[in-house]
Amino acid sequence: MRHVLTACAAIALGAGAADARPVSYEGGWTTIAQSDRMNTGLLIHYTPRFDYSIGLKTEWDRADDILFNGAQATWLAKRWFGQDYQANLYAFGGGGVAQGINDNDRGARGAGYAGIMADWETRRWFLSWMGRVSDMGDGGHAMQSARVGVAPYIAGFGELHTWLMVEVDHHPEDATPVAVTPLVRFFRGPALLELGYTPAVNEAMFTFMYRF
Amino acid sequence: MFRILIAAIAALSFSSLSLAPAASADERAYPTPELATAVDEGGTLVSANILGMVCDFCAVAMTRTFGRRAEVAAVHIDLDDKTLQLVVRDGHELTDATITDLVRRSGYQLTGDIRRGDDA
Repeated sequence: MRHVLTACAAIALGAGAADARPVSYEGGWTTIAQSDRMNTGLLIHYTPRFDYSIGLKTEWDRADDILFNGAQATWLAKRWFGQDYQANLYAFGGGGVAQGINDNDRGARGAGYAGIMADWETRRWFLSWMGRVSDMGDGGHAMQSARVGVAPYIAGFGELHTWLMVEVDHHPEDATPVAVTPLVRFFRGPALLELGYTPAVNEAMFTFMYRF
Repeated sequence: MFRILIAAIAALSFSSLSLAPAASADERAYPTPELATAVDEGGTLVSANILGMVCDFCAVAMTRTFGRRAEVAAVHIDLDDKTLQLVVRDGHELTDATITDLVRRSGYQLTGDIRRGDDA
């Protein structure tokens, strides 16, 4: 069972980057697989109404070998619309069980997290910020990350969208508290793929998102 | 893992849709063959301007929300003009109030009037 759980986590979402559109359209399902310099995980969520989503999440803290499994809710607190832009403010929270895996024999403990995400986007520019506090059963932790992105060309509906982005994340308690990750985002129809690299810790990052 | 990533990039890159304008029997240019065919079959073209549509996820939300309605024969999003275009099947009705509500359920906001037929 331990290996199954580890494998599930290994295929995919971390806590790092602000997700693109964490709430979908009514009746929409979304799968987000993500790995960054700290975590690897998977989130599958369903949007019952346009302003919130609920989902199941598994997340593997690779440094401490802690595997979280639980549920997450995301609330679209506010969306600002313009002719050429969109901005969003989200709040999210989750709860479940975090257990030690591999060489970590600390056992299973109750765990939870909460955070805020904000983004502003045009067809050319992208800005986002996310902050999160969590307790995986061993005390509180906080982190934040921010992104800026530019689209080198403007693509139409159904065409391949490409974004060049830089993410800066801040984990105050980590040995490398601040790290910069350049990444490229490919985006077409219901699919999104991000590939990046964090030189400070020699770690790759990726995100794959699909809307059903 | 590397092969999976390469395959995903290739899938995103090479499976592009045809966006060439299509002409119907009345020689009006439509952005997709599906819209042209639906109008040719007696449907009514409807268009509206939408706020906040800046990416393909926005467009997918709109096309899937409208596309699963029985009244809608075809739907298209123009990110350049920020417009929603759809064709209501012959003999069916999709009221302005319903269209406004479906746009809201997609997560977006309609602006201006909803245009139909020759005005669309």
